[in-house]
Amino acid sequence: MYRININGQDHDVDVDGETPLLWVLRDILGLTGTKYGCGIKVCAACTVLVNGEPEKSCGFSVAEAVGTSVTTIEGLSPDRSHVLQQAWIAEQVPQCGFCQSGMLLAASALMTEYPNPSDSRINDKMDNICVCGTYQRIRAAIHRAAEG
Amino acid sequence: MSTLEITKGTVVNRRQFLATTGGLLLAFSFEDNHHAAEAQGLPGTQVTGFVRIGADESITVLVGGGEMGQGIYSGLAQGVAEELMVDWETVQVGPVAAGLSWLSGGSTGIRRRLTSMRTAGAAAREMLIAAAAEQWGVLPSVCSAAHGMVTNSITSETLSYGSLAVRAAAMPVPSAPPLVPSSAFRIIGTSVARPDLPSKTDGSAIFGLDVMLPDMLFAVVKHCPVFGGTLRSTPPRPPGATHVVPLGNAVAVVATNTWQAMEAARKLEARWNFPAGYLNIDSAVIRSQAQNLIVNGPAVVAESRGDVAGAFAGAASTFQRNYYVPYLAHCCMEVLSATVHYDGETCDIYAPTQAPNAVLGAAKAVTGLPADKINVVPTFMGGGLGRKFEVDYITQALKIGMALRKPVKLMWPRPEDMQHDQYRPMALVRVRAAMDASGNITGWAARTATPSILGQRGPLPPSGVDSQAVEGLVNLSYGFGSRLIEFARHPALVPVGFWRSVGASINGFVTESAIDEIALATGADPVVLRRRLLAADPRSLAVLNAAAELGEWFSPVPPGRARGIALVWSFGSIVAEVAEISVPVAGTIKVHRVSCAVDCGMAINPNSVEAQMQGGITHGLSAALWGEVPMKAGRATTRNFSNYRVLQMRESPQVDVRIINSGAPLGGIGEPGVPPIAPALANAYARLTGRRVRSLPFFPGATMGDD
Repeated sequence: MYRININGQDHDVDVDGETPLLWVLRDILGLTGTKYGCGIKVCAACTVLVNGEPEKSCGFSVAEAVGTSVTTIEGLSPDRSHVLQQAWIAEQVPQCGFCQSGMLLAASALMTEYPNPSDSRINDKMDNICVCGTYQRIRAAIHRAAEG
Repeated sequence: MSTLEITKGTVVNRRQFLATTGGLLLAFSFEDNHHAAEAQGLPGTQVTGFVRIGADESITVLVGGGEMGQGIYSGLAQGVAEELMVDWETVQVGPVAAGLSWLSGGSTGIRRRLTSMRTAGAAAREMLIAAAAEQWGVLPSVCSAAHGMVTNSITSETLSYGSLAVRAAAMPVPSAPPLVPSSAFRIIGTSVARPDLPSKTDGSAIFGLDVMLPDMLFAVVKHCPVFGGTLRSTPPRPPGATHVVPLGNAVAVVATNTWQAMEAARKLEARWNFPAGYLNIDSAVIRSQAQNLIVNGPAVVAESRGDVAGAFAGAASTFQRNYYVPYLAHCCMEVLSATVHYDGETCDIYAPTQAPNAVLGAAKAVTGLPADKINVVPTFMGGGLGRKFEVDYITQALKIGMALRKPVKLMWPRPEDMQHDQYRPMALVRVRAAMDASGNITGWAARTATPSILGQRGPLPPSGVDSQAVEGLVNLSYGFGSRLIEFARHPALVPVGFWRSVGASINGFVTESAIDEIALATGADPVVLRRRLLAADPRSLAVLNAAAELGEWFSPVPPGRARGIALVWSFGSIVAEVAEISVPVAGTIKVHRVSCAVDCGMAINPNSVEAQMQGGITHGLSAALWGEVPMKAGRATTRNFSNYRVLQMRESPQVDVRIINSGAPLGGIGEPGVPPIAPALANAYARLTGRRVRSLPFFPGATMGDD
């Protein structure tokens, strides 16, 4: 049994300690906003925040998550009111939308560190894959969010 | 405005709707020659969409195409909202029942169905006006509709659509209701917000992989590694699995969560039969077979105009080059998945699919149940790209569901998704051209050696030509003096399928690279040469010139950079792109910006058109730079994004889009952004480095991360 804190709530989960946090979130807790894309920590669709830092949850075990504070897309805001969510809608960023949970969380971590990041900073820091090709709009949405 | 929650109750049946809400339900056809809407009814199989006006003031448009990011939910609903005289924010959008759906492909969603969507909205509007007139005892001509209300112009009284809906439902359906003239459009042609996007910013959008049912089990698939191979016998259940289910060419491993199923599948000990000749599924063998086919045939004629032999006999100069493109994987962000609950009498299927009707067909075939016992719920797709037309994964999920008689979700882990795709075919294409003394192209000949997508799905027509294989080679608008286009069917057994823009993704590269080479060889500017070849096609000329202007074609290039241009016709649209690149480090390309001009007749939602161009260019750049699925020993050697690199943020260029509303018949928009970028890149690269890339990708063997 592992006690993990997700979006401010404690959960006790009875799984193998090696189980990646991704699958605990999705299959055990029903938090399906966190996506599976590759399983090898490359595509970053599974990005969550662990103590505020972006982490690829497909390669981060539930045992490692114990004692940390995890934020998933469901916890970014209760009502789509986060400045990045608003900017994402204003810029009409998503296409298929599958990668956008990870994108939003990566962007929120980026903006915590750099409140007004340049394009090159965004390019350096965000390695999430979007097959639809929404990168340009993501940059625009981050700038919009930074401007408030 | 919002999307309906995708749940079992989403696909409202007519009786249920009328019993619970009451109101006007119009069922209508999307086919161009079946505009007549029919109130309150389900008049047969031509009906592929619904407009509902509820007594509770709800306005709902149900569309028969799947939403995979292309914006079909907004584009079609815009047509209804325009004619219905309602505000965009009041419209809900969701999917129709599977049996009434259409295939989402060929970039047809909006262009083939907008008119009948508009007609349905107009018919509903006229019926609501007629209902109001009856209630007031006035002539309909003194009533008008706006913002979801009917107004009596004499008394200034108003009635809401919701209050009129039940009465409206009894009104005759007008056969030819007047449509809003384009000069008065409020919604069509504007960049309305897409209704599906808010749910894609908070994790609430339900994709196929996100379906959760009570007491559900989780299955992953393990295929025979060799194409065409079969399972020898049902393997023993590995530790951690609750079940194994044999699937012919694969085994499903079932457990109580996805991770356990994947771990158990790793321990699976399955034995396979490999088919005869499987070692010939090898990239080097396949390419040498193609080389033989383009030299020796056999080949069939796909298009022949004028005297090509005479043109070559009398040529002042000639040109001949071969171009090669590899197999490509779809690698949608969302791997293949489907959820089935079969209890012996009914069957529910939740699926990310481009073809809900084909899912229904597969379910009938696999379960033997009649259609009315089968409930197909299409979910959002995390990308479709042509892969989610197919029903291989659906059939597997059905078989697992039948074996278990419990809710079960099947997922293909990424390596299975990449290694058992239905790939964009490879192709080797030989282009020959004959020029006169002034550099005019008097003869044009192309022969493609490529596997047949259609031929793997049924017999080819008597001509022997696979139309998909020659898209982008035939019917070119260029004013060549004569032309001969041939198709040589390649026998490779690798499964092939429809990949965003299909043949145009191959032949756009071929044709536009060859045109550029001829321009350089004859000392002509590539834009000037194309202008000459398009002298009789003002629409294409306008697109070419717009891209050249946007991309500053005739202005000096910044130091260390070069530009390349290409123009491709596909799916009824014309797209030209200018790529501006540099080579900061040998073995890389930096794409600084791409300038794109598109004529799709009219942009219904300009913001969505721009998004599709940006997306198509990104997708095409990934393929051109790194995309390749090498074949070895009967298998695809691609495993994951680790050895199938795609564009990331830092490589993503600024893409500027200019839309030309020419008024031509509507063209597609989901696919046509893809084809021009590979040749624009190759043409820029040749100008910058003097090196012509005729074989894609630019950088084979690229990797990203480890697996």
